[in-house]
Amino acid sequence: MFERFALGAQIAFQPLSLLMMTVGVAWGIIGGALPGISGSMAMALLLPLTFGMDPAVALMMLAGVYIGAMYGGSISAILIRTPGTPGAAASVIDGYELHKQGFGAKALGVSLITGTVGGIASVFILIGLAVPLSKVALAFGPPEYFALGVFGLALISSFVGRDLLKGMISGTLGLILATAGTDPFSGTPRFTLGSIDLLTGVELVAGMIGLFAVSEVFYQIAESEGWERIKGKVSTQLPAWVELVKLKTAMIVGIVMGTIEGLLPGGGGAIAAFISYDQAKRWSKHPEEFGHGSLEGIAAPETANNVVTGTAMIPLLTFGIPGSNGAAIMLAAMLLHGIQAGPQLFERTPQIVYGLFVGMLVANVLMLILGYLALRPSIAIVNVRRPYLFAGILGLVLVGAYSISNRMFEVWVVLITGLIGYGMRRYGYNVLAMVLGLVLGFIVEANLRRSLLISIGNPWVFFTRPISGLLLTFALITLLWPILRQVREDRRARAAAPARG
Amino acid sequence: MRRADLLVGLGLLVFAGLYFSQSFSIVRGFASDRLGPAFFPRLLALALAVMAVALLVRAASGRSDPEPPPRMKIGVFIAVLVLATAYVFLLPRVGFLFATPVLLGAVIWLLGMRQWPGLIATAAGVTLALYVVFVRMLHVLLP
Repeated sequence: MFERFALGAQIAFQPLSLLMMTVGVAWGIIGGALPGISGSMAMALLLPLTFGMDPAVALMMLAGVYIGAMYGGSISAILIRTPGTPGAAASVIDGYELHKQGFGAKALGVSLITGTVGGIASVFILIGLAVPLSKVALAFGPPEYFALGVFGLALISSFVGRDLLKGMISGTLGLILATAGTDPFSGTPRFTLGSIDLLTGVELVAGMIGLFAVSEVFYQIAESEGWERIKGKVSTQLPAWVELVKLKTAMIVGIVMGTIEGLLPGGGGAIAAFISYDQAKRWSKHPEEFGHGSLEGIAAPETANNVVTGTAMIPLLTFGIPGSNGAAIMLAAMLLHGIQAGPQLFERTPQIVYGLFVGMLVANVLMLILGYLALRPSIAIVNVRRPYLFAGILGLVLVGAYSISNRMFEVWVVLITGLIGYGMRRYGYNVLAMVLGLVLGFIVEANLRRSLLISIGNPWVFFTRPISGLLLTFALITLLWPILRQVREDRRARAAAPARG
Repeated sequence: MRRADLLVGLGLLVFAGLYFSQSFSIVRGFASDRLGPAFFPRLLALALAVMAVALLVRAASGRSDPEPPPRMKIGVFIAVLVLATAYVFLLPRVGFLFATPVLLGAVIWLLGMRQWPGLIATAAGVTLALYVVFVRMLHVLLP
């Protein structure tokens, strides 16, 4: 165990790793602060640049972006009342209030410190849970993996977004997209539409750049009215120890909620941040201050969204199933480097897993330092004129897509998936469910077929094995519960209608 | 949303049908694989068709989300889309160093920035930065 951490530290403290993590965290803070760039988009934009790197370094850098973006999001939430990332939406309430009262510097300081505390706590939670869970995961056979994939998709479809039916459609479309290309099981080409380029299927990296980054550019161009410029001189003022101690309840609430959301498939910290805000208010000694400039109202959501950066890696590292946008991009980076995510990572390539553990700790410290130093430059970039910004991003995604395999095909994929992603956002579909479908397509199908091969065609194998039976039952409940509730409400409404006459 | 749901529902139904029919042109794999490469796609096609019908029924019975989709600057959006598509078409023919600044300049202009010095400087600067990063540092062979 300890030699593995030493191995990880050896990689994380190489000068190149430190440099790349610094770049990653700085870019994360800037991208997070920009309201047009969410954390996952900032990560997706860097994906093509990680190509030539050592996989361990690439993952550390991307984790750095993820971590930095969680703090960056609060900069614009506090200063211009616009969350830079969805995870910072809850910080707008008290953050902007504090800024109006002249305490913007203190609000930024609290966000930075509590974010760092949350981030570091989450790495320890990650280590504490992922290592034993990976041993459990090793015992999983094909039926369990099939059931886990279905369960993950069911959770994403029903918990993210408001519309279960549209969520399920999105997930199914992702699975369908994943079937194009060479069937991994028998080597037969499918749905290639006669194209040689499609033989290798839809490249996951290109799909994610399209669905996460290009769709956001399209949205900003077509619908957004932009955001305010940050005016005046702003600085960061770190809270004193006494003040920090007063925030401990809020931070504990943030850690608990962030851990739960990281483990369940969810929306990148946004839900955890809002629940933490509510719970911190309930447990606070001064609930009346919430909404009128409470430091606890920043501490709770900002701790929670940074906790998610670590705990979201747990399902990814142990089962190879990502539960958030950020984790999905980490998975794409692994595949880009030919690494199979899942429990065998811990045995086969411990330098990657333990390098990531140590690297995430380092990245959180870097966030504290850079967050303090890099406030001015981040503000300058938030104030860049939007046409320049989006033209630049468009150039980066198109060239980045080309560089994935040195051909035009991925550029087309990026444009088309970007258009699909934007349309889905606009009409209430669930982009994350589609990405998860694309990611899990192979896992679900291959394990379905493998299971039936083992059971000699007996479909009951999925239910006679306890873990897979339980997971599939949960998946069914997740999907059926909202439908049953709707039917019951309709019946009640119909029964009440004639009475009203 | 109702009209959009009806249109999307119909589109998905047609797509599910096409996808299902395409699955018949797959050559069957080795015999020990009971399900074969066409089973899972057919399952997905059926599931999608059922969901598309549910979407249609919901929209037809007036139970869609009543909120209309947000306003959109359709002209600018389509112009950017056409430009980006033209760029992807022309990139292999005219080369990166020529096509990129033109695309970027046009997008900046379309998004409402009419200050020529800034526009030209950004278009050229971003192209140069991309060139340095991808060609010089990552050794990508751009067209």
